[in-house]
Amino acid sequence: MNELRLGPILIRNRFLISIYNFVENRLGIKEILDLEVFYKLAPSYLGIFSCFGGITFFMFTLQVVTGILLLVYYVPTTAQAYDSVVHITNNVPFGWLIRGIHHWGANIMIITVFIHMGKIYFHGIYKNPRELNWVTGIVLLICTLSFSFTGYLLPWTQLSYWATVVGTEIPSAMPVIGDYIKIFLRGGADVSQITLTRFFAVHIMVLPAAVIMFIVLHIIMIRRQGISGPL
Amino acid sequence: MSDEIIKEEVSGKDRRSFLNLSIFISFAVAIGGALYPVIKYLLPADSTKGTEGGETFFISADEIPVGSAKLVRYKNRPTIIIRTKENEVYALSAVCTHLGCIVKWHEDAKELLCPCHAARFDLYGNVLGGPAPKPLPAYKAAVEEDRILIREA
Repeated sequence: MNELRLGPILIRNRFLISIYNFVENRLGIKEILDLEVFYKLAPSYLGIFSCFGGITFFMFTLQVVTGILLLVYYVPTTAQAYDSVVHITNNVPFGWLIRGIHHWGANIMIITVFIHMGKIYFHGIYKNPRELNWVTGIVLLICTLSFSFTGYLLPWTQLSYWATVVGTEIPSAMPVIGDYIKIFLRGGADVSQITLTRFFAVHIMVLPAAVIMFIVLHIIMIRRQGISGPL
Repeated sequence: MSDEIIKEEVSGKDRRSFLNLSIFISFAVAIGGALYPVIKYLLPADSTKGTEGGETFFISADEIPVGSAKLVRYKNRPTIIIRTKENEVYALSAVCTHLGCIVKWHEDAKELLCPCHAARFDLYGNVLGGPAPKPLPAYKAAVEEDRILIREA
């Protein structure tokens, strides 16, 4: 076999063909590739607003990549957090770019999430049989907003410190359990090093793991049910 | 007519191969453009350049009291300066010749001990024991007025 046709792609390179054949003989990927990738047609009724789920997913991957890069230089201590962020921005080559993408990407992701959600809401796509997908979407929304809240504290600026003081003060308005929630979020009576450490842990480990799990569920359900038709 | 098409394909100069090449180049430029900042970010310029080691190095004598040692960078390598008496100083490479750990001065035993596998060296770098295969490179060191000078032996 001298050429391999995968949908619109024609491969003539013998080495690439032999790699493909190796995998195909063992896993039988041709069926899945044809069905899910190469001959899967997007419905003609999809418009620009149908793209925002995918755009949000792209923004998330961008946040993961830039977040990992920031993690290389960021120091999560009250003494050094601000200095390390300043160091990233001013001294590390392209640090301004990586931090800028993470900062603005976070803002843009919130916008794309709400456009995506508005499309699903106003077109009634959340209705039967897609209720479960709406529920996973709401979990992802809560995770995204928690990302914003926890990430905001990490540079340890005046703005982020007081925003966290105010934000963690809000649950204490609840009767009986309010103060316990506040102390649980802060890890003590005040916003301190403990708060920074737990916000950091939630921001870089807990939320990414949760979001990846729910994105997988979200996409499996879309693939199972197909994209909803027009109104 | 059909002969011409076959000829063009054989020489690899048909429209398809040109377009394929264009796509390949566009992808290469896009991926390269995204990777360049990331690689520069992960390899900051100021950490790859060390202090350019001049042939002589000096440090204020106050920084190393008698009976103590200090780790400095000389010729961009970790170097240990040991001051045994008011006017007696020794300078050695601090990189153990066994597996590259940084040796420490033990004032009570009057010897350098590697914390990794217990190689021992004397003030001139000679191996006293342990797994080190070679002595530590020694430099010339002297106290001149209020400074300690190191130069190549």
